[in-house]
Order: sequence, then C-alpha cells, then structure tokens
Amino acid sequence: MKQLWVFPGQGGQHGGMLAPVPAVLKEQVAALLDMSFPDTDAVYTDSVQLQVAIALLQVSETQELMAAGFTPELAAGHSLGVFAAAYSLGSLQLDDLFKIVHYRASLMQASYPSGYGMGVIVGLPRTSVAKLVAQVTTTDAPVYTSNQNAPDQVALSGELTAIDAVLQLAKANGAAKALRLRVPVPSHSPLMNGVAQKLTKAMAGVQLTPPQGIYLTNDGGRPTKDPEVIRRDLSDNLAHPVFFDDMLAVAADYYPQVVVSFQPGQPFRKVLANRFSDDVHQIGLASMSIDDATFLLNKWERGSQNE
Amino acid sequence: MSDTERNWHSHRDAKAARLANAASLLDGKFAKTKDAKAVLETLLSSGDKVVLEGDNQKQASFLSQTLASVDPAKIHDLHMIMSSVSRPEHLDIFEDGIASKLDFSFAGPQSTRISQMIADGTLKIGDIHTYLELYARLYIDLIPNVVLVAADKVDHEGNLYTGANTEETPVIVESAAFHDGIVIVQANEIVDKVPRVDIPGDWVDVVIPADEPYQLEPLFTRDPQNITELQILMGMMAIRGIYERHNVQSVNHGVGFNTAAIELLLPTYGDQLGLKGKIVPNWEVNPTPTLIPAIESGWIKSIHSFGGEVGMEQYIAARPDIFFVGPDGTMRSNRAFGQMAGQYALDMFVGSTLQIDQYGNSSTVTKGRLSGFGGAPNMGSNPTGRRHSTPAWQSLKPKDDPLGRGQKLVVQMVETFGSNKRPVFVDHLDAEEVQKEAKLANVPIMIYSEDTTHIVTEEGIAYLYKTDSMAERQAAIEAIAGVTPVGMRSTEKELADLRRRGIVALPEDLGVRRTDAKRSLLAAQNMEDLVTWSHGLYNPPAKFRSWS
Amino acid sequence: MEKLHFTFKATQPITHPVHIGVVASGDLEVIMRPTTGDSELDIVTGSDGFHDVWQHVLERFFDRYPIQAKFEINDFGATPGVVNLRLTQAMEALKDAQ
Repeated sequence: MKQLWVFPGQGGQHGGMLAPVPAVLKEQVAALLDMSFPDTDAVYTDSVQLQVAIALLQVSETQELMAAGFTPELAAGHSLGVFAAAYSLGSLQLDDLFKIVHYRASLMQASYPSGYGMGVIVGLPRTSVAKLVAQVTTTDAPVYTSNQNAPDQVALSGELTAIDAVLQLAKANGAAKALRLRVPVPSHSPLMNGVAQKLTKAMAGVQLTPPQGIYLTNDGGRPTKDPEVIRRDLSDNLAHPVFFDDMLAVAADYYPQVVVSFQPGQPFRKVLANRFSDDVHQIGLASMSIDDATFLLNKWERGSQNE
Repeated sequence: MSDTERNWHSHRDAKAARLANAASLLDGKFAKTKDAKAVLETLLSSGDKVVLEGDNQKQASFLSQTLASVDPAKIHDLHMIMSSVSRPEHLDIFEDGIASKLDFSFAGPQSTRISQMIADGTLKIGDIHTYLELYARLYIDLIPNVVLVAADKVDHEGNLYTGANTEETPVIVESAAFHDGIVIVQANEIVDKVPRVDIPGDWVDVVIPADEPYQLEPLFTRDPQNITELQILMGMMAIRGIYERHNVQSVNHGVGFNTAAIELLLPTYGDQLGLKGKIVPNWEVNPTPTLIPAIESGWIKSIHSFGGEVGMEQYIAARPDIFFVGPDGTMRSNRAFGQMAGQYALDMFVGSTLQIDQYGNSSTVTKGRLSGFGGAPNMGSNPTGRRHSTPAWQSLKPKDDPLGRGQKLVVQMVETFGSNKRPVFVDHLDAEEVQKEAKLANVPIMIYSEDTTHIVTEEGIAYLYKTDSMAERQAAIEAIAGVTPVGMRSTEKELADLRRRGIVALPEDLGVRRTDAKRSLLAAQNMEDLVTWSHGLYNPPAKFRSWS
Repeated sequence: MEKLHFTFKATQPITHPVHIGVVASGDLEVIMRPTTGDSELDIVTGSDGFHDVWQHVLERFFDRYPIQAKFEINDFGATPGVVNLRLTQAMEALKDAQ
C-alpha cells in the first residue's frame, strides 16, 4: 500500500505533546544537544525548544510506525517538517537531524528580533496577491508572497506594517480572509537568505543517502530521489516559499493509497481532504494513537491484498 | 549512388537484425515473463519512436513498468508516443533519461507532474494531439520503430484476442506491422484457441505473458446518487431546447454528471414530452451504466463504443442488437473507428469543461495542470468536409446562403460556478498562461468558439450559432454566465433583446419548470436501480457498491 | 461560518410563507415570510468571503422579482447557481399557490 507521510511545521504545538515520546529517545536527544525538554506551553515561546521538540515528536512517531513495519513511498515536510520527511525516507540520520534543527532554530531566533512576521490571505489567487504585494513592498519595509498551502491560500512574509497594508488591500479586493499569523520571523522569503546561507554551510558536511522513496521539495514542489536536491531543500527552504499545494498535487499523481499526517496538530486536514479522493485512506496522528493507526494500516493492507 | 544500388528494405533488415539478437530470449514469438526487461533492452534502440498502448481506460501496464526498469545506459532518448499519460512510470522513464520526447493526447492523471517536467526541461513535448490526430500521425510522420500493446488472450500462433477492450490496439499494431516496426504484446493469458481473432498472429513479433492483467479503469461510471437538481434542470433544458428543437438523431455524450442526467431523464421526462422514438436512437459513446434505463425502455437503437466499461460485460453480451458484439459475446471497441464516427457521423456532441472564455473557447487545462483532452476535440469540432442530410445538421444551415452548409451541434454544458465556487466563465483561459509557461506551439484550447454552437448553463441556453458577430456571441455568453465577472456585464435589457430574437432561452422560454427539477425525475437514482434496470446483468465495480 | 444581512426595496408582497431547498452539503434552504416593509435577508453561510457574490445574486433576483418578504437563508456551501435555482424555485412555488 503506497503511503504518503506528511510532516507539518510549527503551529499545532502544545505543552505536554512529548508525553508519548519514549524516555530513551528523549534522553538520547537531550544528551546530544545538551538541553532538556520541559514540554510546557511556556517554553514553546522559545524557538529552539519548540523546533527541537517538534522534530523529536515527529521522529518518535516515525520510529514507531517503522517498527510496526511501515515506510513511506512519498514524504512531504512543510518547513521544519522537511527534516523528519528526509529522516523517514532514510536519507538523513538521526543525530544530524537534531543538530541541524537545533542550529536552524537558533539562527531563526537571532535573525529578526522584532517587527517582522507572516500573514495569510484566503480566497485570492497567487497572481492577484503578487500584484498587491508589488504595490506595497519597499526596500525599507519589504513584503513578499510566501507559502502556497492550497490553491486559494497565499502566505505573506516581511515587515509587519507592509504585511498589514497588503492584508488591507486584499480585503478590499474580495479576499475571504486576510490575517496576521503568529510567526515572529519572515520565514520562506528572501529575507531569510542569510540564515539559509549559514545552514547551507552547515549542511555541506552532513551525509545524505539516496532516499527509499520520493521526497517532495518545499521549493517548487518537485518530486525527487536525488540526495543533493534534498540537501538543497533542507538547507535553503527558509529562503523560498513552501509550495505545499504543488507538493500535494504532484504526490497525488503517484496515487498514494494512504496519507498519514504527523503531529503537531493536523493543520492540513482540510487541504488533504480536498486534494485526495475519498478512496484514499487518511490518518491523523493528532487524533489517533500509534496503536490505532497501525491497526488501521494493517487492516487496509490486508484489504488491498484481497481486492 | 544510383537507384539500383539503393537498399529498399533497410527497415526490414534492421528489424530482422534486432529480432536475431533476441533469438536466445525467444521461443518462436514467445518470451518468458522474467526476461521481459532483457527483451526490451535487446529489441529497443536509443532514439526509437515507441508507441506505448494506454488510453484513459486500458493500459499496457506490465510493459510500461518493464520499460521503466531498463538500463538508461543501454536505452535512452526514446521518443514516446502515448495517447494517455496515466501512470507514474509513464513519466519516470523521462526522469531516468530512458525517454526524452513525448507526443500525447491526454495526461489528466499526471497533469501536475507533466507540467513540472516540461517547465524543468525534463521532457520535450512534440504536440498535444486529439486521439484521432495522434493515431493518424502514426501513418505519416510518427511511424513507430517499436509498439508495446496489451491483449487479453494470445494463442500459440500469436493471434490476439482483445476482448471487451480492443480500444487502440488495432490502430497501433497496424502502423508497425506494415512498416517493419516491431510489435511486442503483453498477454493476460496464453491459450490454445482464442475466442475471436482481433489481431492476426502474423502481425505480431513478440508475446510476453504479463505478471498480472493489464490495468483497466471504470472511468465512465457515474453514480446517479451524485446527480444534483441543478444538473437535472440543465438536462431538462437541453432535451427541450436542443435535442427536441433540432431533432437530434445521433449523439456523443461526454463523461460528466450533466450528460448522465440527460441519459436518465430520457425515459421519464423525455417520455412525458412524447419524444420517444423521435430523438437520439444512435449513439457513439462508451457503454456507461447510466444508459441502461434508456436502452431497456426502447429509446436507444444502437451504440458504438471507444472502449469497454468495467462491470458492463454481461449486460453488453446480452444486448447484441444494441452494441457491437463479436460472435464470442464480447464487445468489439475500436477506438480509432469510434473517434472517426464521433467526429464525422454524429449530429451532436455534448460535453463539459472547466473554463469557458468570454469568446466561447473552452479548456480543461488550468494553472499547473496540463491535462490534454483525449477525444473531446474530435467530437467537439465541426468537420467542414462533411455534408449530411439529417435534420439536425441542416437546421444549422444559414438561411440566406444558397451554398451554405449545415453544422455539427457542439454543446457545452456547465454550471456558471464550479463546485470549488470559482467562476467557469472567465475573461481569459488559464490555458493561455500555460502555453507560455510550457512553450507550446498552440494555446491548449479544448473546443474552439467557432465550433461551439450551444452553451447550456443553469441560467439558460445560448444559441451561439445564431449570432452574427463576435460582439453578439459575447453578449449571448454573458447573458447565461450568471454572476461570474463575465456574466455581470449582461444587463436585463440585453437579455430581453436576446430572448426576443431567440439567441438566448431561459427555462420559462422552453416551458421548463424549475420546481420539476427533482431527483425523483431520474429513471435511476442510485447504482442499485441501475442493476435492477439491467435485470441483474450489470455488475458494478466494488467502489460503486454501497449496498451488499 | 459567516452571518450576512441584506436589505432590498421591494414592491410585490407575498401572502403566505414559502419553504424551499434542503439542509445538505452543497445546498441551502430558503424560507420566505410575508412582511410589510423592505425585504430583509438574514443569511447564515458555511462559506466565508462570498459577500459580494451574494450581493450580485440577490441584486439580480430582486431586479427580476421585486418581492416583499422576510428571508431566512441557511447555506451549506451552495454554489451561486444553486442559490439562484432555489430562489427562482420559490418564485414558481409562490405563483402556483396564487
């Protein structure tokens, strides 16, 4: 049974989310990075705590599904989720994953102390949003079109007053929704070029092996099995929009039979439901234990053999 | 070199040499399943023109998977000719360099990936053809070196039986067999005697038993459960305002729910109007289950089909008066003949689309999805060389021109907004943008404005063939385009004028009551009803069975 | 979920209530009740951001049928085509009753 595994980025986190993570894995990562995991809402305002914890949760879920005998044919990570995606395909190793996630989070935390962030517009096509952005953006207060999570959902990244100006214009031009996101960094825009360059240097020495399935790139939404393409995506995805909509569209062309959404939260529930037909099984680990998930996967596996 | 010295049979020599190289892998014409890859690596040569069978229903899936496994160092830069790009490995071969150029018709199931690969230069597009155009070019300038096709059963002489899904096998095989191309067949089964010879064995070079039967999709099955009242209203309007008005005798229906609704309204609403025996006795259409009630109640006299439909086999076998059935009881579906009949012999084509522009051009190509069109551009175009005496064709003849010709009715049925609530009527088709991105020679328009004679929406019918200028055509389109940006340009006054002149008709002008548009008006309301109508002969695929 | 309110000038009073449409995904129900003032429409819709499209559908409707009624509309993601079908069906139902 062909599986697509989807790894979200930040957003769905909450204190206590690491409870199901085995102590031995937690200790291993704590020792590796010389940090502890209080796992409270309070610490998740800290980028490093938050990003490492999300990676820890995703790695833990991946390990458990693999121990139950499942692997993905396709893996789609959104932003921070790219690392667990590469790990799930056997391309990125565990120690490297946590070191790079830790480094990435530290760089992001230091990049824009204040005044920058992201917004989202629902109900306008990307081309229309791009026109509004072009009216507003300046060298001093730059704003860019950013992630595309669904056909009618375009994110903005940049300076906050500029973002607000584009949001206002979007509402006046018929957007269904136009609001700021609680993200303190202008992620997935050229404003992150500096961070991406440092990450590229750090990633240069990391060993990546050919993936056991298809990796879907954030940049451009392309399918690939080339470790060097994966390396580039892990290194510089912060400087490019995540074309998540394209990632899913192209994943659909490979006919996955099961889609598994990893935690935290289930931010793409609607998007995935719209993208895949009803005969594609969907599992969200935010609303189901690993045991229940493996029970269902085994059941569907048997069903597909009987057909 | 003088003419007498020239080798006039170089193709034949080359073919013989290739087959001689493969001799150790062959027992007569037969190869072993496990040797399939080696057979292809031996018989193919880099740069060959290769036809891979696969339309939107039937796929030579064993051979396509085998082709994707060959060593790109040995076989590369093939020029693939495929009417449908449907399976992931159809594009994997381009990623791996096994193939580099593609001529095709339809890529719906791979439309995102193919767009990306064109943009990235991973594959080069020859042209995006209609089915008939692609088949035709196999005999002109895309003559294949090797063809890869699928058969149900093959006997020890290599005679092929293609069963209910003959589809494009004959047109592909013939292009190679008579021009010294190599014909390679995957077989579901090797038998002592085939039930019917669809392709004679001496046209076949190599037969490989497949590890599993070729892929077959129940592509044209529409569950009546999902037909909406809006579609029923549009169907009622079409029956009154087009089928009845133009006295249409022969028709092709597209694959959407709009036309499924019409099929299910004929035995009920059509009967109430007293149209039975007067309209649409003759069809070129796939054997869709929603036709069963119209067949059973005596509306339909004949159906020729492009391909089979999973689950309809027994029903078809029991209705040889209606379908084209061989002495063995299975339907013969020859796609090339079907497309020819659909283009040349029909009074009317009724289809649907994703976008219609302000001028009346339509396309199913939208941003980032280069889907191609399959058969719609054949059926949905007016062959200007034809001259028919049927009342429908004659009814479109200009009144004031003694030498004037009639026209095929080409009808587009769309709701003004799609289910995603995006307008179907747009000022500019996404296809225009796609042409630029993919650097195509032509804008991928499915049906051109000049060929479109009618557009039906939930608002009404635009009789485009009656318009005298592009401005009037645009006004007629605007009048039925609802509250889309295109439709918002229409005023009450313009609408009244167009209605008065018979260029636009609203439901009330056609005597259609909106409150009559109820699901109870459908001859069958679910799959189980269709099974009942078929006297238990229709056997729906598992995914359409909601009962047990 | 969004609540919309519209007011239209109208001249043709209705004499009794009408109920048309269904509570189902992709559909809507329309209830019209007699009133004496302007036509007031209260719409509850599951699809946000379609205020302008509603405005257009309703303007066209009242252009053609200036009926005086209090409208309650519960929308479950109907397309503008379905909305218009239900509104015009209600007009046919009214005409039948008269």
